[in-house]
Amino acid sequence: MESGIQSKAFETLSDAAGTLANPSVEEWKEGGGKVLGYFCSSMPEEIMTAAGLLPFRMRATGSTDTELSDAYLSSINCSFTRHCLNAALSGALDFLDGLIVPNSCDNVRRIYDHWIRLMRTPFVQMISLPRKAGDAQVTWFREELATLMARMEEHFGVDISEARLWEAIRLHNETRRLLRRLYDLRKAVAPPITGAETLAVTVAGTAMPKAAYNRLLSELLDDLAGHDGHTDYRARLMVMGGELDDPGYLEVIEGQGALVVTDSLCFGSRIFWKNVDEGVDDPLTALARFYVADRPSCPRVFGQYEQRAAFVREMIRDFHVDGVILERLAFCDLWGFEQFTIKNDFQDWGIPLMMLDREYALSATGQLRTRVQAFLETIGEGGNGPEG
Amino acid sequence: MDPKDEKRLERVFEEIATYEAIIQMLEENPTDLSHLHLPLARNVLRQHKRTVECIEKGEPLAASYFTNAPEIFTAMDIHWFHLIAQSFGGGMENPHMMEDLEGVDRLAVASDVCTLLRLGLYYLDAGVLPRPTMIIPLLEPCDGVIGLHEALRRHREWRDIPAFAPDPPYHGDKRSIGYYADELRRLVSFLEEQTGKRLDMDRLREVTEETNRQYALWAEYNELRRSVPCPHNHVLAMACFALVQTAGSGDPAHTLWYQALIEDGEKRVREANPETPNQKIRMLWYDVQPIWFNDLAPWMEQEWGVCVVLCMFSYAPYTMIDTSSEKALFEGLAKRNLIDPPMVRQARGVADNFLSDIERIVRDYKIDCVVVPGHMGHKDGSASISLMREKCRDIDVPFLYIGCDQFDRRYTTIDEIKDKLSQFFETMELG
Repeated sequence: MESGIQSKAFETLSDAAGTLANPSVEEWKEGGGKVLGYFCSSMPEEIMTAAGLLPFRMRATGSTDTELSDAYLSSINCSFTRHCLNAALSGALDFLDGLIVPNSCDNVRRIYDHWIRLMRTPFVQMISLPRKAGDAQVTWFREELATLMARMEEHFGVDISEARLWEAIRLHNETRRLLRRLYDLRKAVAPPITGAETLAVTVAGTAMPKAAYNRLLSELLDDLAGHDGHTDYRARLMVMGGELDDPGYLEVIEGQGALVVTDSLCFGSRIFWKNVDEGVDDPLTALARFYVADRPSCPRVFGQYEQRAAFVREMIRDFHVDGVILERLAFCDLWGFEQFTIKNDFQDWGIPLMMLDREYALSATGQLRTRVQAFLETIGEGGNGPEG
Repeated sequence: MDPKDEKRLERVFEEIATYEAIIQMLEENPTDLSHLHLPLARNVLRQHKRTVECIEKGEPLAASYFTNAPEIFTAMDIHWFHLIAQSFGGGMENPHMMEDLEGVDRLAVASDVCTLLRLGLYYLDAGVLPRPTMIIPLLEPCDGVIGLHEALRRHREWRDIPAFAPDPPYHGDKRSIGYYADELRRLVSFLEEQTGKRLDMDRLREVTEETNRQYALWAEYNELRRSVPCPHNHVLAMACFALVQTAGSGDPAHTLWYQALIEDGEKRVREANPETPNQKIRMLWYDVQPIWFNDLAPWMEQEWGVCVVLCMFSYAPYTMIDTSSEKALFEGLAKRNLIDPPMVRQARGVADNFLSDIERIVRDYKIDCVVVPGHMGHKDGSASISLMREKCRDIDVPFLYIGCDQFDRRYTTIDEIKDKLSQFFETMELG
């Protein structure tokens, strides 16, 4: 699928997604700003923004091997964490002034154990993320956030007032609204932006100041308003699954004639499909409820499969999806079991599904192309493509 | 009985027959350890028969786990079965294992996911798990268990069965224990709602005081395992765990078993008559005892004079529970099930939990080598191997990581494991 976007804003966003220390990060650091890294989309960026820090979602873009981290993590650990630790050990993440690690999964939580031994990052905080989504869990997570905030205030010498928190929440909610507007454009028969391009946009948003990001998003939306959409696709696909921050992966899929029109990804729609509630008294409670209970979850949250499935079905309906690709990083146990239930449900629903295991660094693209081609064949003529 | 239920109980009936035969054999051909082995076999038999009875009579039956506070279930007189125990029914390898593994391979679950947990899902999918009236899933110590239980809960066979899972926090501080204690209280409310039974606090106190005695006796017994030579091999050490953490936890008859175990251990230490003679290598097997351990451990004993002094499950770091108030009782149960138990203790929180246990066990039990089998499902453990190796280097004890599947002998064959162990013992000049 050829990109046809003529947009300066898109170029800036795409560049930010394609590197770690992108120009926004460099500019932030040159201005004396601090950067706080965090793993997992369940960590509230709003608190970091309110503290005057730049939140940076951990990834290892550009990493091609794991020779440094292989001494610490094993071959049965997921390649995302191995590449992230490798990136850290290689110095590619030296711009970080701090790191927040949740117990999001077995692999990520062990990053913490190695990080505190191997790296000299001055601020490293572990945070306990509940595995359920009830009221007790919201209360627990609120306390965790309060502790995190207190430690950030002490370490970085900042004051995170309620007013600042609300200001940050409003700013981040604006990001979410803009991203949903971007996704709305993809519901059209001729979406003006591909799945790969969209992923670059969403990834960029986790690595630059939100105010600047919102300006770029607004510009991009303006640019796309008069843009001719894509009509040269055979099928409209949705991609769902775990950590995926590489637009190149979707480029390979779209290169076979598919158009990825939506997703359920933690670098995609799951981070912005809902807003943090601005109508409650306590901003920390609002954040805790959003991250624990309200936003679409991943399989690490027990008891939420029904909500996850409803979200996916809503996406499939609203974006006129012909088929779904479930991508999973090899050695991810959470998505490993979710595959089973999803496969059965998709059979019941009559929705074409292909399950792909992958490594963090894009590889085996020939095999990926073949699988996608075969999948598109199975979807056949019955799809929602322009001629479908 | 409903034919579907008969099918679901088919493996339970088979195990009942197996254990009845074992009991008969032990009764007819007593050994010097029959008095310790018989109560264990009878306990498994009793629990299985109770499972069948619950199905036949339509009584409440929970699918649950160790670390879900078994004292609560005993106190409420709610029977439960261990959801994934079929693969290692009562400590013996399931005779259907190969066909089960082939069934597992056909499931739409990636092969890099823990085989034990995939087996659990397979048993339900194949219709050979008893149908419970409630599910008490486990959300610790690894991602796999969360994934498994969500899949079980949503399986078309079980999706109408109510479930409640206590949420384990990552930390181990006072706040975490308080939170988990509240989760256990919510578990009690769920059980009350499902069964119509009420938790009698006096009864919970009584059961917990009994398990306190049992844990204390277990700790006392483990003191005996510090002796050189070690009085018993790995089997009875593992059994200590089974009696306090399975259905029937808190049964006073178990207390008598621990007392008998100590008496036997003391006698063996006094008379220098260990169960395993010619002990040359005292090993810490730092994980679960695999289902194929009966094919490996005797070889290690005979060829190399290995005594597995402790494994992850036979270490007893439990603290006694203060039963003086309801608050103290629940907090004690929270600690016993969140902080103390094997696997959960090491794998749930920081990697230091692995390291501090290794250091303490090596020192206290005069360990000559630490062997980590490295189960393919233990992602957190495999990410901690380098730290364990470093710790062992620091405390100057030889360390071996094998890399295997504790439930599928096709992954790394027994012969390969024997080769690795032999090379290790030779290189380290052990034995």
